[in-house]
Amino acid sequence: AAAVQDGARLSAPVAALPDSGLRRAAAPPVAAAARELDSEAEFLLQAGVSAMVREALLKVLEARPEEPVAFLADYFEKLELSGAGGEAGAEPPGLPQRLARALWYVRLAHHSHRPAFSSNVALAYECLSGGGRRRRAGLDGRLFSELLRRVCRPGPAPAEAVSALLRKVQCREHEAVPLDVFRYGVLSCAVLREFAAKAGALYDALGGGGPADKRLCQAVLRALEEALADGDLPPPARYLAAGAKLGPDGLALAMERALRERKLSAAMSREEFLRKAAALFVAKVKAVE
Amino acid sequence: RGGRLQEIVFRNFYTAFVSVRVQRARGPRRWLTCVRRRRLMASPHAEQGAQDYFSLPRHQMLCDVDQVTAVRFILRQPSPVWLHFTIEELQIFPPSQKSPPKDFPSWLSALTPLPLPASRQELPDPEKVSAEAQQMWVLTEVIRARQAAARIGRFDVDGCYDVNLLSYT
Repeated sequence: AAAVQDGARLSAPVAALPDSGLRRAAAPPVAAAARELDSEAEFLLQAGVSAMVREALLKVLEARPEEPVAFLADYFEKLELSGAGGEAGAEPPGLPQRLARALWYVRLAHHSHRPAFSSNVALAYECLSGGGRRRRAGLDGRLFSELLRRVCRPGPAPAEAVSALLRKVQCREHEAVPLDVFRYGVLSCAVLREFAAKAGALYDALGGGGPADKRLCQAVLRALEEALADGDLPPPARYLAAGAKLGPDGLALAMERALRERKLSAAMSREEFLRKAAALFVAKVKAVE
Repeated sequence: RGGRLQEIVFRNFYTAFVSVRVQRARGPRRWLTCVRRRRLMASPHAEQGAQDYFSLPRHQMLCDVDQVTAVRFILRQPSPVWLHFTIEELQIFPPSQKSPPKDFPSWLSALTPLPLPASRQELPDPEKVSAEAQQMWVLTEVIRARQAAARIGRFDVDGCYDVNLLSYT
């Protein structure tokens, strides 16, 4: 409710929500007030304001931003840019703005909120595919690759992993990208980002804040690789096997054994650990055909 | 000469006791008892066990059943209730070519928590390490399960276009 009120303060045309208008008008039961109520509700409907506010609320709920005010300001600004306020005929924004807006759409919802993520990705696709005076409608491979690159970097994922992933999911520059391929590519990049962040957290847990022991890193990476290699087993067995290998007991044993077997200890750098971990991830991504 | 017995399987039909004798290829030409008066029915007058399947494995036999040339089954039914009694679906199995122990899945041995050996060194917190590693595994599984359903519809072969596939407009 707080966010809604802030939004109401921001955009001048939104005089009041239909609900509060009704409540205000219901108190004095006068014919004039009833007439006012009708015209208020009508006005809101006509201007398409109620639908717009509803959309804005939905987006806020999906994205759960830390700064709702700034988020809503951003949202309404982008809405105006696209001329969705009802005025048609405005020149569609140029490529950099489209790219920025598509990127904004993609970042709204976490990839695990599947319906929200899918609908945002579809909006981003529409945004990038719109035709203009100078360009044909449709998304070409070059713009797609550019968007994918921006989803990944700047971010925790190492550069080699990003290039390897892009090689698998991008299209040739001149090719038209269908929505499904677009969604797949964006999802892979979003998941890679999160994976790299988790790998960083894992490195921190292994090193206790400082550089981590190489033997420990290798032991844990090996356990992860083995757990991923069981991909052919049917689902229940696969989860059980992975749980056994990656559970606290299994990992503690693996780490303890690694420390015992090799006496020399060197440190593995964070970059190297991230690189190796991300390679494990990218290896499992299926290439687009 | 002769066969090797691993297991005898049959289906009972109202036989109370069964004995099995074998004759071997070498040695004296007499019948050796390998199963002596095995009870099949709890009570010869009652139904229990009357139509059950039974298995006589090698390790329950009294004598060595290699190099067997003949097998004799002796069926006994002291009760007057059942007029006819026999055994059916008789099958005799030799030892199989290879009997590898079934592959023991590794996770089965991890069901009970293993006692951690007293570690001499400081280990990083296994709970935290495990939590991050498992989340990484889940993320990889998520992406492994997905695949772009749509195909781009490329017509090129090894990076070059195949002339026959291009249409003349």
